[in-house]
Amino acid sequence: MTMSEYLLSLDEMKQVDAYLDKGFQVHSVNENLSGMFVEFKRLEEVVSLQILTAEARKYFAAKLLEQSMF
Amino acid sequence: MADLRIDLAGIKSPNPFWLASAPPTNSGYQVQRAFEAGWGGAVWKTLGEPILNVSSRFAAVSFNGQRVAGFNNIELITDRPLEVNLQEILETKKRFPNHAIIASLMVEPKQEKWHEIVKKVEAVGVDGLELNFGCPHGMAERGMGSASGQVPELVERQTHWVKEVARTPVIVKLTPNITDITMTAEAAVRGGADAISMINTINSLAGVDLDSWNTVPHVGGKGAHGGYCGPAVKPIALNMVAECARNRFVNVPISGIGGISNWQDAAEFMLMGATGVQVCTAAMHHGFSIVEDMIDGLNNYLDDKGIASVMDLVGQSVQRYSNWGDLDLNYNIVAEINNDVCINCNKCHIACEDTSHQCIDMYTESGRPMLKVREVDCVGCNLCAIVCPVDGAISMVERRSTIPPMTWNERQSLISNFSR
Ligand SMILES: Cc1cc2nc3c(=O)[nH]c(=O)nc-3n(C[C@H](O)[C@H](O)[C@H](O)COP(=O)(O)O)c2cc1C
Repeated sequence: MTMSEYLLSLDEMKQVDAYLDKGFQVHSVNENLSGMFVEFKRLEEVVSLQILTAEARKYFAAKLLEQSMF
Repeated sequence: MADLRIDLAGIKSPNPFWLASAPPTNSGYQVQRAFEAGWGGAVWKTLGEPILNVSSRFAAVSFNGQRVAGFNNIELITDRPLEVNLQEILETKKRFPNHAIIASLMVEPKQEKWHEIVKKVEAVGVDGLELNFGCPHGMAERGMGSASGQVPELVERQTHWVKEVARTPVIVKLTPNITDITMTAEAAVRGGADAISMINTINSLAGVDLDSWNTVPHVGGKGAHGGYCGPAVKPIALNMVAECARNRFVNVPISGIGGISNWQDAAEFMLMGATGVQVCTAAMHHGFSIVEDMIDGLNNYLDDKGIASVMDLVGQSVQRYSNWGDLDLNYNIVAEINNDVCINCNKCHIACEDTSHQCIDMYTESGRPMLKVREVDCVGCNLCAIVCPVDGAISMVERRSTIPPMTWNERQSLISNFSR
């Protein structure tokens, strides 16, 4: 595997967008050796997403900032 | 013609270029010739109890044909009695009243020893004092030089003793052989220093001779660690100057030293907070006349920029030197290859493929080999541009990010609200 992560990061960013578009809110964020673990919540429904790529983790932080501002 | 005069903690000199305390400032003969050549000031070879030197003393590291990329020495302070040096300082000051002569001093860490030498050197009219807490070899084994300079309490106490009697400005010269130079810089300020200077030499062993297995240099088959200086140490020195310049407790002027070889180096040190610079290795390598180009170059640079006085350069880049955690994670640059200039040596491709992010593709167009950066995978590391031997073949260009600026510190504080 090369360091090329573009496609994977695109895919991860799309997943973030998809949850947010469906009305989920970020509920929890935890980072450890395996990357970033995000829980999205919509009413009582909770889904989790593991974000591996650096670009998507940056992107997610930008989205989190947006959510925190509104 | 820009005004090149500087005022460093009350020490005035016609330009910012001083010779550092070292062999170029051993004697009145040399310092007077240096002033004739154009140097604005000289820090006299460190005065103290006359020492004994060994032979040989110097070694240099050459790199890929560049001679004296780094310079190593195991020389100690002056080996001449104090009175001989003082007489020559007196004569030199009389001939060159407007040039700065600073006496570099090193004695045992005892109050009466510092009082004695300070009074004696000030009596011959020096413009300032520089306390040598930096020499890493020989003197350190006797409790002086960097042995004093690595202990903040000793720096503070000895500076204070000097300030008890000094009438001229006191510069404290710091050793780089310490993890965080701001600790000793702050100690010097607490002790009352009027200015600080850095860096002295870095502990070093120049090499090992593969035939004889002797150290380089060696003294009859034995070696000891020396002090490293010259162009190789410039980035280390520049960082130390910058770290002190941006530390709010180190609120005294800085005299920048370490690898300065031309006017550009000097300007960089001044932008990063040095009020003036000192030079040793470049003068030892090329002679006193290098100062002519330094003066001309700096003057032209200031004129081109429309800056009236060199003092207006001091510290202009300091606020741009920040902490990693305050850098924008979303700022983006990517490499762009100009195939009209590229000579297809493929060094960029190899560097990227082997040691970076595998984003430079090789292809052929009309039978011609070409290289192209896959921008989406380029992380803007600069490595390809660094290894490229052709000017203009690779440029790093900014790409506007689709997401707003965010620093690591901002990100961590944002995320911390969501850790459950
Ligand atoms: C041979 C030699 C002798 C030196 N002697 C002294 C000295 O007596 N006192 C001192 O403060 N620094 C001494 N230095 C250190 C220089 O003043 C200066 O701090 C150091 O060389 C870094 O500057 P450069 O890279 O321009 O050489 C000496 C350096 C060399 C190379």
